[in-house]
Amino acid sequence: MGSEVTDETNGWQEAWEAAENGAVAVMDCHEEIPCNPCQEACPNGAIRVEPHVCALPRLDPGACNGCGRCVALCPGMAVFLLDRRERNGFARVTVPYEMGGKPVEGDVVQVVDGEGKALTEGKILKVRAWGGEAPTLLLTVRVPEEVALKVRGVRYRLIELDEGLEVENAPPLLDYPICRCEDVSLQNVRETLRSGVRSLLTLRRATRVGLGYCQGLFCQSSLREELAAAAGREAWKMGSFRVRPPVRPVKLGRLGGENA
Amino acid sequence: MPEVMSSEVVVIGGGVIGAAIAYYLCREGAEVMIVEEDDLASGASGACDGFVSLQTKAPGPHLRLAMESAQLFPELAEDLDVDIEYRRCGGLLLATSQEQMKELRGRAKALKAEGLEVEILAAGDVKDFLPEVGKEVKGGSYCPLDARVNPISLTLGLAKKAQEMGATILRGCKVENIVVTNNRVREVHTTAGSIHSRRVVCAAGVGSNQIGKMIIVDVPVLPQRGQILVTESREPVLKTLVAGAEYLGTKANIQALMPADAESAKLGLGFTAEQTASGNLLLGSTREFVGFDNQTTPEAMNAIARNALRYLPWVEDMDVIRSFAGLRPCSPDGLPILGTIKGIRGFYLATGHSGDGICLAPVTGVTISELVLDGETSLDIAPFSLYRFK
Repeated sequence: MGSEVTDETNGWQEAWEAAENGAVAVMDCHEEIPCNPCQEACPNGAIRVEPHVCALPRLDPGACNGCGRCVALCPGMAVFLLDRRERNGFARVTVPYEMGGKPVEGDVVQVVDGEGKALTEGKILKVRAWGGEAPTLLLTVRVPEEVALKVRGVRYRLIELDEGLEVENAPPLLDYPICRCEDVSLQNVRETLRSGVRSLLTLRRATRVGLGYCQGLFCQSSLREELAAAAGREAWKMGSFRVRPPVRPVKLGRLGGENA
Repeated sequence: MPEVMSSEVVVIGGGVIGAAIAYYLCREGAEVMIVEEDDLASGASGACDGFVSLQTKAPGPHLRLAMESAQLFPELAEDLDVDIEYRRCGGLLLATSQEQMKELRGRAKALKAEGLEVEILAAGDVKDFLPEVGKEVKGGSYCPLDARVNPISLTLGLAKKAQEMGATILRGCKVENIVVTNNRVREVHTTAGSIHSRRVVCAAGVGSNQIGKMIIVDVPVLPQRGQILVTESREPVLKTLVAGAEYLGTKANIQALMPADAESAKLGLGFTAEQTASGNLLLGSTREFVGFDNQTTPEAMNAIARNALRYLPWVEDMDVIRSFAGLRPCSPDGLPILGTIKGIRGFYLATGHSGDGICLAPVTGVTISELVLDGETSLDIAPFSLYRFK
């Protein structure tokens, strides 16, 4: 089965081996953007987004207990669980499911890869829900081991169901980091706005929003909305972050290299 | 109809100097109004590094002023409600040639004579302070009293505390004229209305020349651009402040410590490095006279990066996420201009701090507050008088 494991840099080989003893997360993330809910989700600290918030996540399979929180919380649906404990040529794969319909255990569904191509059919062994009003479902399907690492989703026919799902109730999100790079919370920004701050630059000096790795590329529009809500008709005066080179992070070695 | 206001003292400028003066004035119970054209720390105080460096000061009055200031920082860190990230982290000054070493040795001797603790380090000793240094580094000097601070937090913290003690801060308010009658300051005209005041402090940094013109006094302060690179945030890798001897050369105009190549000399390039509390490395810097242009330039960014690699080759794999430039209020000799004006009572100058505004802010605050309220200062500020240039 080792031939299936191609992306060793993402710790897949280790995950593949660890999966013999039970469920373990596999990270299929290629987005170098300021995003780290997976790190926050993991109760065991098995996922690290380092050295900065735009880095790719790294998983320590030894520390992963296969709880699946990261699978539910990854906004890019780039994490799945692999479980090979049956050791009979079949593996259990847990993928997030955010389409309509109400999946139920025992159903046979089409298992698809990242491009939506059907791989095989598989039986849903378990349905879990995580989140509040619109939960992300975690579907565990049984598939032949040789396709296990390719599974990214299931294709499901709409089934009407009488009984409601058991939903794990997560508290509503009142606060979250509005600037992920510098870990500045929404409430901190709102408090600063209440003190009379009316421009993006002043907000930055006071809270460090937009001073991190992405330089405000990702948080600027959310911050504008917060400013507009606080400043009302004065919003046009809010200005913008002063754009200074480099446009994208550049290695010092390159900036100061002989050919620079 | 513009409002008519009044205040016992008006401080022109909401940078670190203006905020410090307001803070110390308020501590003495004075009524203070800060008039700021843009916003707090929107000029040089918000576009600089956090060096509170003593060994780079000129032996004599300049060093004494800085040493006095250094003593005030711990108390400030206690008193302000904002964390100003003050750390007495020590500072290194590195030499890349034997000539530079010789100059540093002579300088260390002079600094020691003034009571500053400075240690000369051989190339091998430098390794105790840094993970790795470039091959060119021949040694350096170390001052354990050198410290760092977050300049923006310091400015905002001082202003906030002053405000709590009763100071008024007028943001986005530009001074248009200053009225002097019978040899005394009477009124400050601003875009937000007139302020009646018999005491006006000019802490306007690079805007001081413009303010001086309003009372027909030539305040010789020119904007000097300093560019700085910011790296991504990392775990603590740099315990101390680090500067190259050329930094001192371009700062104090010491021929023996000037950059060797013409391009670096033109940029006024001198190496500085500091790791902020948030983990970013600030790498500097340049000294350029380009008017009020505060853009960063590719030439300077390349030069700063190249220079940084000479001293600390291991920064090679760090990402540069931003560059910024600040306009330092540069006086002809690089020392601050503090004191009164001949023939105009009630007007005080606290400007021209060049690259030392952050370091000298506390002592400037104390001294100017004494001068404004008592007419005399506990520290002799005669060497910093405007009239030394005439």
